[in-house]
Amino acid sequence: MLRVVKPRNARSKRALDAREPKEIEDARIAIFVKGTHTGEVVNNVMKDLMALKRPDAISFSKKNVIHPFDESSPTSGSSSIQSLEFWSAKNDASLFAIGQSTKKRPNGLTFVRMYDGKVLDMVEVGIENFVSMNDIKSAKSTPGHKPLMHFASELFDTHPRFIQLKSMLMSFFNGEEVESICLAGIEHVISVSCAPTPVTLNTASTSADTATSLPKVYIRAYTTKLLSSGTRIPRVELVNMGPSIDLVLRRHRDPDSEMLKQAMRRPKLKKTDVEKGLGKKRKNFEVDEMGDLRGRVHVGKQDLDKLQTRKMKGLKGGAFDGETEEERPTKRIKTS
Amino acid sequence: MDVSSILASHNAKYQLVTVEKETPIEVDAGFLTVTDANSIDEDTFNSNIEEHLQSLARDGVQTLLAKLFSLPTLPSSDGPLAQLPPPTTQLPRSKPLPKIKPLTKWEQFAKAKGIQKKRKDKKVWDEEGQEWVNRWGKDGKNKQVEVQWATEIKLHAAEDHDPRKAARDARKARVVKNEKQRFANTAWAQRAVEAREQRKTEIQRTLAQSRLSTASMGNFDKKLEGEKKLRGIKRKFEPTERSVEQEAKASLALLSRMESDSKKMRKNPTSEKSVLNVRKAVRFASKGEGGVALGRKTAGEKSKKGGKK
Repeated sequence: MLRVVKPRNARSKRALDAREPKEIEDARIAIFVKGTHTGEVVNNVMKDLMALKRPDAISFSKKNVIHPFDESSPTSGSSSIQSLEFWSAKNDASLFAIGQSTKKRPNGLTFVRMYDGKVLDMVEVGIENFVSMNDIKSAKSTPGHKPLMHFASELFDTHPRFIQLKSMLMSFFNGEEVESICLAGIEHVISVSCAPTPVTLNTASTSADTATSLPKVYIRAYTTKLLSSGTRIPRVELVNMGPSIDLVLRRHRDPDSEMLKQAMRRPKLKKTDVEKGLGKKRKNFEVDEMGDLRGRVHVGKQDLDKLQTRKMKGLKGGAFDGETEEERPTKRIKTS
Repeated sequence: MDVSSILASHNAKYQLVTVEKETPIEVDAGFLTVTDANSIDEDTFNSNIEEHLQSLARDGVQTLLAKLFSLPTLPSSDGPLAQLPPPTTQLPRSKPLPKIKPLTKWEQFAKAKGIQKKRKDKKVWDEEGQEWVNRWGKDGKNKQVEVQWATEIKLHAAEDHDPRKAARDARKARVVKNEKQRFANTAWAQRAVEAREQRKTEIQRTLAQSRLSTASMGNFDKKLEGEKKLRGIKRKFEPTERSVEQEAKASLALLSRMESDSKKMRKNPTSEKSVLNVRKAVRFASKGEGGVALGRKTAGEKSKKGGKK
């Protein structure tokens, strides 16, 4: 593991503090790693994905013996998972894109997502078809601008593999919570869609869940062109920007349920947020004009007959009940 | 007056910017993401993939932009800033939630009294130099008395009163005091956390005990909603078959544990208890002068004897 260093000056302290966990997190930093052998296609795909991810991307230029899906690789001393964890801690990165091309699995790309310095989940995809950004002659988006994301297919809501892929890609490109966005700065969209759902997926149970039956995934990137429509909302036209990547899903590793539970924890809602109506819907709560939170309490009708009054020996008989009831008001009048 | 043409043109305008789908398109404006849960049409897909993908994307983006442009905006120098709602999609965090820092003694007091924190500027205005200088640090204002060439002192000040030294001592004392308070705060916070943990385990233990202390050992007790089953200690066994490597490692670990001093009952089992108290004997023989003196004496006698011969 990494040595824990005590900051010796203010600058290194600031740098370490920036790595501390935050309530609202920054964009995830992605590391692009080449495996033992990457072909031209994988190299170019990684280059283009990096161009899309740009300010939060780190590229490892050397090849690495890394097989994230194999428990321990015989060629290297430490396991691949350990190396991933080490790189993650060293670079403060929580995403990996690992390119690897083998005879068995040509043009493979593995996305790894980390939580707290540990591997959370992994998705391996194979690149079937690829057109680079450079091959498409059109205007490109500015690095650092937030992309819009578009997912099209019901599988992204229903099928666990595609839900994972969607979550992974959203973490990759768009996982940063921002308060506001400059509307003029919206330049490009990353669109992810599927081939038509095969019949086997619609009808059969999960037993037919083999990689071959899963439909292909198409990733496209477009620049947006906003045209005036006469209303406040502009009409949008898309221009292909590249890259165009066609993928097949291969191996994957689901997140450990306990770790996922930890990773999904949300910060406690602040009082002001609750007043705005966020979180669980609460009945009979309202915020008045002064900004005070007011609640209305409904109490059932009280049964006065069963009300316990003062116990006295003389009152026990029951015959004098009427008298005591009469006595009280007179007393009250006296005092007031 | 015929307004149908006006209405028609108005509708036509809106048709351009609205998208109608079988299942309405899901927009997560917080993450700038749109999900189109309609199934892919096979015919258009097969006829021309690229066109199909682009038109799908256009529909999605149009819906998303319609949502984004209808959000409340704030003006800024770069154009309107749309205020995004919190995202609806749940993505896993990359790091755990930050731990809540316990309040310091001052912060607790300030909270109780409603004292707002005021940030001091790092620079202060220096009247004499007519410039902004650091409040502390390099050429700081707090060191002014220590560095200025002349300092006014009171008339009846002590002979050895050094205003520079006095100012420096006062400044250093403040630093020490602050550090002391910081230590006290961290120690106090640490103790509070420990106490809470201890209390938690204590409560859990008492609860477990009380649940087992009925006549039926808790068998026929009423169960509360959400009450967890009591769990004892589960015994764990090593697998019967292990690789040679692991077995060798385990045996070596056991051996080293047996050899280590930490597990030994007697620390020095070698030396047997002697009847003779050496220290006492030496003191007696040397008549209380110590071993060194005794050694010197015996050496002297020997040499004397040699001399006589």
